[in-house]
Amino acid sequence: MKTAPPIERLVANLKRLPGIGEKSATRLAFFLLSSPERLVTELADAMVRVKSEIVLCEHCFDLTDVSPCPICRDDRRDAKLLCVVEEPADRAAIERSGDWPGRYHVLGGALSPIDGVGPEDLRITELEGRVRTDGVKEVLLATNPNAEGDATAHYLGDRLRATGVRLTRIGYGMPMGGDLEYADHVTVGRSLQNRRELD
Amino acid sequence: MTTTHTHALLLRSNDFGESDRILHLLTPETGRVTVIAKGARRSVKRFGGNLDFFNHLRIQIEQRRPTSMARLELAKLERTFHGLREHPGRFALGCYVLEALDRLAPEGGARVERERLFHFGLAALDWIDGGTPDRRMRVLLELRTLDAVGLRPELARCVRCASALGPADGPLVPFRVGDGGPVCAACRSPEDQGLPIHLGTLRALQSSLGFELSALARIGLSGNALGEAEGLLRRFLRFHVGLELRSEAFLTQLTLREPEGKLRPPEARP
Repeated sequence: MKTAPPIERLVANLKRLPGIGEKSATRLAFFLLSSPERLVTELADAMVRVKSEIVLCEHCFDLTDVSPCPICRDDRRDAKLLCVVEEPADRAAIERSGDWPGRYHVLGGALSPIDGVGPEDLRITELEGRVRTDGVKEVLLATNPNAEGDATAHYLGDRLRATGVRLTRIGYGMPMGGDLEYADHVTVGRSLQNRRELD
Repeated sequence: MTTTHTHALLLRSNDFGESDRILHLLTPETGRVTVIAKGARRSVKRFGGNLDFFNHLRIQIEQRRPTSMARLELAKLERTFHGLREHPGRFALGCYVLEALDRLAPEGGARVERERLFHFGLAALDWIDGGTPDRRMRVLLELRTLDAVGLRPELARCVRCASALGPADGPLVPFRVGDGGPVCAACRSPEDQGLPIHLGTLRALQSSLGFELSALARIGLSGNALGEAEGLLRRFLRFHVGLELRSEAFLTQLTLREPEGKLRPPEARP
């Protein structure tokens, strides 16, 4: 028997989400169908509101519902320390560590010439502006430690060096809980180069 | 099921689904090949950070059915070309060479050609890794890339009669990009509107083909000759690729600022 068109439409729309195939979409559609109306309304409302209420922070370009974002408005954060990340998810990961006392700058990606992403596609001019006008003393370049992230960090370093700001890069090495036996020789090598005094 | 153990360079990578990656690889065993790396984005245990540009890998790929995409089962790091990650100009030039290989390298082909192409890829990354990427290095790499993929322009002989070019044909020779080479004085007709190139420029480019990449610093190419060579190779590359390489704009931004002339040793970083 053919499925009712409203259900088919819902399944077709759910299938457009990442990681959702035909079976998962059908299961979700029937779950929503059997759920209380309040749950469905809340879900639909949350989806609409996230699109209409989330904006980019005018200072750091992170996702926020009020601009400037809470971190940029927080006077307890050290405005002289700026951590540069590729994406909002990277900012969230560093923030979860609770170890960064400064503020952030979200570039919006990394240099990727093969994909046609150049400096003009990233928020580099805005970063230079913040460094020059906000009295920034240190810029921590926390782009990902892959080829594109490393190249982006060095490119930013070249552009910012003239400002005299202290430039730092996130550390490389063994992950917590890692096993030396299974690490590749580059990671082990970097861990040795970046060794530190035992506290 | 066929299992292949070989070496590889990553040419291009695309995310696929929730956790997989589609990788375009250059290998001496299969030439350019597309594989799927299952779980490459979700788990770092299987491939670590090895599936990255400018890494020389030892890989194992499995072809379960002739019609399905091969699966990457193992990728061990053999060598990484660090210098390309730590210098924007080298990074840009490395990306440019990888993109050119991805667009122009054939799938399959004779084994000797596949091996030659793979070793060219390694040698090119090695040369960039140890040098300063200026306009001259870019031009010579463009020529060697075209040579490696079997699209080398004719530089010494007339493309119409195959006679060697001499002083009587110059000093300026019309280079027909579409025909793949210069036209001598005897074959030239008034309607031949080729790119005018000095014989000396063609000779410098021709002689560079006889050197190992690591010895190309000996090739003198500067001033007008460098400008002519740039114009010629860029038109030739665009003609054969069919469009501008995406990495060209970034590379041009960086290399245009570089001084021309002899290669300088890489500057020390603090």
